[in-house]
Amino acid sequence: MRRLHDLKPGTKAIVLDVEGNTTLKQKLLGMGLTKGAEVKVVRNAPLKDPMEIEVRGYNLSIRKDEAKNVIVEVRK
Amino acid sequence: MIRVALAGNPNVGKSVIFNALTGARQKVGNWPGVTVEKKEGICEHRGVKMLIVDLPGIYSLSATSIDEKIARDFILNERPDVVVDIVDASNIERNLYLTLQLIEMGANIVIALNKMDLARSKGYKIDVRKLSAELGVPVVPMVAIKGEGIDELKNTIIHASKTQRIPIIKYSDGIEKYIEFLESKVVENSILPEYPSRFVAIKLLELDEEILNRAGIGEEVVREWISSVS
Repeated sequence: MRRLHDLKPGTKAIVLDVEGNTTLKQKLLGMGLTKGAEVKVVRNAPLKDPMEIEVRGYNLSIRKDEAKNVIVEVRK
Repeated sequence: MIRVALAGNPNVGKSVIFNALTGARQKVGNWPGVTVEKKEGICEHRGVKMLIVDLPGIYSLSATSIDEKIARDFILNERPDVVVDIVDASNIERNLYLTLQLIEMGANIVIALNKMDLARSKGYKIDVRKLSAELGVPVVPMVAIKGEGIDELKNTIIHASKTQRIPIIKYSDGIEKYIEFLESKVVENSILPEYPSRFVAIKLLELDEEILNRAGIGEEVVREWISSVS
């Protein structure tokens, strides 16, 4: 089981689940990080936080602390 | 006068459409109590006057940010006659999330499907008629920056203001049985009767903090209801 925050740039993955309190979950789900969604890590900011990912045809910047709640399966 | 609110994600061309609708007849102020800009303007078309209110650009209506709260409160409490949901056709998947939330809130919506030129250059082919039929709301394709679709949008707003449709977004059976049960509880206990009961039921299923607070119900009560559904 991997989490979104420790994927390297270029990695593609599928969202398996989203954890966290209701508010954070609503936010992440609302931005399109739902079960089954495909994500790709685009790059990290200079201090590795936030990270930029591609999801549902757009780019999303997300804090590592929030990305930690997204459980993914890496796609080869 | 028809009261119209403009809603949409950030960067969808909302300001361009607001300016195209209202021209120079604008008033800029703040939303009460917060330093978020509120723009209002008048649009006159075929002898019909419309008061256009520009809502903050938002991705969802979960009320986690002040912008979302302003938009949500305005739509739920002020009940505008028509809500124009501006959708970026070149980024349609993410944009439609807000659309579904607006429909669920029982807003009388018209979709302004903007940036059609950009969507085309990205290779997207959008079946506007089918989109409209599936969602149960009018869809106006536009390239607002070139003025394309503005007149049709005005006509559609006026038409929509006279016809109240409440389309329902159906979920899978597994989710619908929970919504159905919670909706019966909402009606039975007259929870937030000023809002559409299905909307309240869906928000309870999400355990939405704002709605729980407003209704004055504890999360554990809703959890119990949810677990009683077999």
